[in-house]
Amino acid sequence: MEWQGSAEEHSMAANNTVGDVLRANGVSRRGFMKFCAATASMMALPPGMVSTVAAAIENARRPSVLWLPFQECTGCTESLTRSHTPTVEGLIFDAVSLDYHHTLQAAAGQRAEDALHKAMEENYGNYLLLVDGSIPTGDYEAYSCTNGHTHLSMLKEAAAGAAAIVTIGTCAAYGGIPKANPNPTEAVGVQDIIKDKPIINVPGCPPIPTVITGVLAHYLTFGTIPELDKFGRPMAFYGQNIHDRCYRRPFYDRGQFANSFDDEGAKKGYCLFKLGCKGPVTYNACATLKWNEGVSWPVQSGHGCLGCSEPDFWDKGSFYRPVSAAYWGDVKTIGITAAAGAAAALAAGALARGKQKKAQEEQA
Amino acid sequence: MSATMIPDYGVLGARAAAGVKPTTLSDDQQVARAKAAFIAGMTGDMATYLESCIHCGMCAEACHFYIATGDAKYTPIYKAEPLKKVYRRELAPMRWLYRLTTRDITVEDLADWQELAYDSCTQCGRCSLLCPMGIHIQSMIQVVRNGLEAAGMAPAELQALCEEQSDKASILGAGPDKLREVVERVRAQGIEVPLDKDQAEVMVLSSALDFLKDDGVVAATARIMNKVGADWTIRSDGFESANFGALAGDVRAQRRISNRIIDAAIATGAKKVIVAECGHAYPVLRWEAATLYGQELPFEFLSVAEFLGQELQAGRLKLKNAGNGASHVTFHDPCKIGRMGGSFDDARQVLDALGLKLTEMESHGRTNLCCGGGGGVAMLKSAQHIREQAFELKREEVERTGAQSVVTACNTCMQSLEMGKARLNWDKDVVNLVNLVSDSLA
Amino acid sequence: MNEGLYLQGMSLLDFARGPALRWAVAIFVIGVVWRLGALLLYKRQDLSRPRGATFAGGAKTLLTRSAPPHELEKDIKFQHYSGYAWHISMFIVLLFGTPHMLFFKGILGFGWPTLPTVYITVLSVLTTAILLVLLARRVMNPVLRKISTTDDYISWFMAFLPFLTGLMAYMHVTFGMRYETVLALHILSICLLLVWFPFGKLMHAVMIWPSRYKVGAAFARRGVRA
Repeated sequence: MEWQGSAEEHSMAANNTVGDVLRANGVSRRGFMKFCAATASMMALPPGMVSTVAAAIENARRPSVLWLPFQECTGCTESLTRSHTPTVEGLIFDAVSLDYHHTLQAAAGQRAEDALHKAMEENYGNYLLLVDGSIPTGDYEAYSCTNGHTHLSMLKEAAAGAAAIVTIGTCAAYGGIPKANPNPTEAVGVQDIIKDKPIINVPGCPPIPTVITGVLAHYLTFGTIPELDKFGRPMAFYGQNIHDRCYRRPFYDRGQFANSFDDEGAKKGYCLFKLGCKGPVTYNACATLKWNEGVSWPVQSGHGCLGCSEPDFWDKGSFYRPVSAAYWGDVKTIGITAAAGAAAALAAGALARGKQKKAQEEQA
Repeated sequence: MSATMIPDYGVLGARAAAGVKPTTLSDDQQVARAKAAFIAGMTGDMATYLESCIHCGMCAEACHFYIATGDAKYTPIYKAEPLKKVYRRELAPMRWLYRLTTRDITVEDLADWQELAYDSCTQCGRCSLLCPMGIHIQSMIQVVRNGLEAAGMAPAELQALCEEQSDKASILGAGPDKLREVVERVRAQGIEVPLDKDQAEVMVLSSALDFLKDDGVVAATARIMNKVGADWTIRSDGFESANFGALAGDVRAQRRISNRIIDAAIATGAKKVIVAECGHAYPVLRWEAATLYGQELPFEFLSVAEFLGQELQAGRLKLKNAGNGASHVTFHDPCKIGRMGGSFDDARQVLDALGLKLTEMESHGRTNLCCGGGGGVAMLKSAQHIREQAFELKREEVERTGAQSVVTACNTCMQSLEMGKARLNWDKDVVNLVNLVSDSLA
Repeated sequence: MNEGLYLQGMSLLDFARGPALRWAVAIFVIGVVWRLGALLLYKRQDLSRPRGATFAGGAKTLLTRSAPPHELEKDIKFQHYSGYAWHISMFIVLLFGTPHMLFFKGILGFGWPTLPTVYITVLSVLTTAILLVLLARRVMNPVLRKISTTDDYISWFMAFLPFLTGLMAYMHVTFGMRYETVLALHILSICLLLVWFPFGKLMHAVMIWPSRYKVGAAFARRGVRA
């Protein structure tokens, strides 16, 4: 992988391969191959590619990764790190040379900033930039700063030397909750600012940890940007509709629905469509990968999908309004339009009657 | 009854048409006049009907002319097309849209519709009973006639008769003088006819169409009126039931003609006016005359059948009961008296009192099939072919009843049945109700 | 109305469920009320003595016109029953498909039991098939050809489109489009129908009632059951 070259020369951290680190952390060969097989299948690779994936990851030089948190809630980082037990996914992160992550790193203040600039200089043009959180712009640029630097300026600076950018979470990808109406900070996602770098969006609020590491694994394995959908999301993880993959789908087809969160239908695990589940219009891997090491996921826990991996999901109406219930207007508007119609009808009717009266007088 | 009882309307029509001069109106004037008449004749009801048409074509299956010929142009709603077009462009609430997307009617359209509004519509109203949207199609075809007449495009036969009746109160020269002649002849038979009484309870109408060739119907009516002991008269200043203003589509002439009867009836102090067995005359007088006159009337119009039914119920009319089912008949409901008039049971009560076996046709009462000659069609030479085709449907229904005689209560229906009988050497007897009753007075 | 739909970042589905539908409903309401203005045209006062009660007769005809007497009905069996089949299955799909019920629930505030997907799918296929047959009939039958206008074909299309897009959405036959795109197209087809409704013959859904009433009243005045 070309971009690793200079990282290897300039960073001590880059001297070990991913495989070395994993072994040092007690990950068995069996466990590692299992992860590789899962990753390969997530990426829709043929089974024969599993060993390729394994070899690539094992031998990958630890790339320099910078993680810049902007206007965010740290939920995405929590998602990645608050796994119940150490996982291969977590350890992959140990395997990369995470040169800057101000939530996780020990260094603070000027030292932290020095580390960031050092990593940027050393790996200029080759490091992978991870971003979580949205970026305030315009008059509100200063609403989100780190050590006196606005996040907009930090993003521009860090992006300049990045080989690629991975946005972690819906805020970084599309603006997310900070961008929600009325968007008080004029927040936007990375793709709205950076136009000249490859960007991989890994949205979700938060994204599934496996998906984050899966995307990184792909990058480590192939050194390329995976196939993306129209929203810049890797097709391997965001190519499928929650509704199509939902284990409750048969209930939908049979017309069996939960009508409230505590009725018989809810207890029997019926479809949550009527309760506003956004599964039919949401693309993510929740229904297949699930959360917390495959323990459960929102729909399984009894709540409909919020559609958190979709752009502007916060502004698409109530989470509890069914997908098919549209925003038709209100009684007042209908009253006004009906009155307008009535006025037009009266005018048309009066004119027509005048015409008729004239014709009748001529006839009589 | 013989075929000579009723004069051949076709011959009468041709005689009348010979005197008509072609219109001197320019094309634009014709279109303008037709449009003005359409606009004047449109009502809120018709607008509602036109707004709701879904072009399903079901009305075709109600129309004897379509059923008989299978020709799509005889689809009833299609006959109202010019009215629909003018309504949409001139009066419809969405007229701005139609003005953008449709073209105006032309004089050629009007010429094409002459056949559709006159020759192929007997105004029988059967389509108005079938339409799933509830469109009163027949009433709109009448407005199409109004427009064509205003443009000088009514068929020559009807136009001539309309002008003559409107101006001279006569039909083919048969006016009050002719009536007096007929009355004299009937009196000569020993039948009392109170002509031109100053005051009477009941005023009886007749029609030149009845007595032009034969005095039979007048005589039969007089015998019945005398028998039931009515205080009655027949007025030479208001005796003509027929209204060629209505048939041609001239509203002014129609009003003038029906007002003569109303004025005569009011002058006589009549309580009842008996409309002769003349199909279109009944709805024209019973349902339209008061409105055109401009006020409610102090008397009621009755059809002959209705009057007979009432007298029978009141016990004043006594008939010879020929015995149970002595003769097997079927009854042809005249459209104008049944479907467009509302009188179905009166004639049947009379037939029952006569002790006749009545077998109904498949289409009877409100759904009866027209004989093919109503609404002035019998007068039109150009309509002869489709009229005969439509008659075939009637003949088949009569045949299926197995009855020997067809009874009816309208001289136009009589005419159609008699002509069909003569043309086809049909072995059925055709009888009108008045003569049947008059022959069986007890 | 103010459910937070903003043009920035709005997807086709957002557009369909929001602004498109709101405009369509507004045009629908204005148009329908406007077109009812036909009822305001000059009314001739009838001075003849009525033979029967007009109101009762008119009210009765609202229903009785759905079942014409046998002599008249025998020749229109196909139109009559295909019309019934199309309208009934259309209304079942419209009212008893779960997403549809939820759409109305959003407007009316109350819902009702619905049918499983399989019934709705079968009925939709049936309805679509009937529509195709009726179109073929309109094109081939001489009477219908004579009286058909562009309106008939537009209105047919407006009725057909929701079924086509609805089936595509329901059966996930999307020709490469995403589900929400098809759903958006489905809702847009409804918007299109609503917009066209007041201008074409779809308006018969409203006009049939005054029209039937009036013909019933006209006949009843003359003492004839209509």
